[in-house]
Amino acid sequence: MRLKFRHKITFEQADKLIEKYYDGYTTVEEEKLLQDFLTQTNLSAKYKPEQAIFGYFETKKQKPAFNIRPYIRWTGAAVAILVLAVGIQTFAWKNSASYAYVDGVKITNKNEIKTQALASLSNVSADNNEVEQSIENLNDNGIMQQQLDVFSGQGE
Amino acid sequence: MLLIGGFGILPKLQAQSDLQISKVFDQYGERKGVVMVELSDEMLDGYDFSLFKSITIKNNRAAADFIRKCLIKDELGAKKVKQVVANGVPTSIYLQLPRKGEFYRLILFNETFKPEHKITLIYIESKNDSEDVLKLILKKK
Repeated sequence: MRLKFRHKITFEQADKLIEKYYDGYTTVEEEKLLQDFLTQTNLSAKYKPEQAIFGYFETKKQKPAFNIRPYIRWTGAAVAILVLAVGIQTFAWKNSASYAYVDGVKITNKNEIKTQALASLSNVSADNNEVEQSIENLNDNGIMQQQLDVFSGQGE
Repeated sequence: MLLIGGFGILPKLQAQSDLQISKVFDQYGERKGVVMVELSDEMLDGYDFSLFKSITIKNNRAAADFIRKCLIKDELGAKKVKQVVANGVPTSIYLQLPRKGEFYRLILFNETFKPEHKITLIYIESKNDSEDVLKLILKKK
């Protein structure tokens, strides 16, 4: 097993390479060694200029700061819509559901409601003799004819 | 979708709000001696109604007068008015109102004096022609 040392070159070697670098005599391989050396995090401050040159202090991509405000706004809007929709549905349901009031008491039993509805219908339907008589003459001419018949003596 | 569904029902609720008789339901619906019924879609199968509201009031002459006044105003906008008059007083009134949106609207009123004084007021909305609805109701036992 081969151990991989972080410091591929010593400080002394690094110093020499830096000097050589400034003189413009370093090879590509040496510059690579130097770069590796300078990318270490625990170097003394004296290497900072070289680190800057080799891009160690490369400006980090600034992550856009997390801004919660748009999320709050959208969440708020979604909640508002939901509440409004549920409210409307509830309102609509309450108002559309079948019910009856008998002497001020609300009834929701379907059979009872239906019984009450049929009872009210029967009040205006053929059970009533007066209404039944009029049904047969529901068209306007019929009513007129019925009244005219009274005068002509045929209505009796 | 919820919103659309929610708003979709509003026109139905408002359809009778322009009528004077809506005041009768509001004022007398929950009183003693009164039976008020409202049927929504699920209970109206077989009748082809979209809305059925009725109110029956017993022994309340003031209510009868109030209803008559409301009917007189609603009559003004009616397409057809049919009445059964007994002793000079209309005992049955049928108002066929102009179609509002997709609904035909119908008001039925009946007043009897024997064995007790009883008023029945019915409001119906239907997609079917009000003439057909009227015939259907009046013949239905």
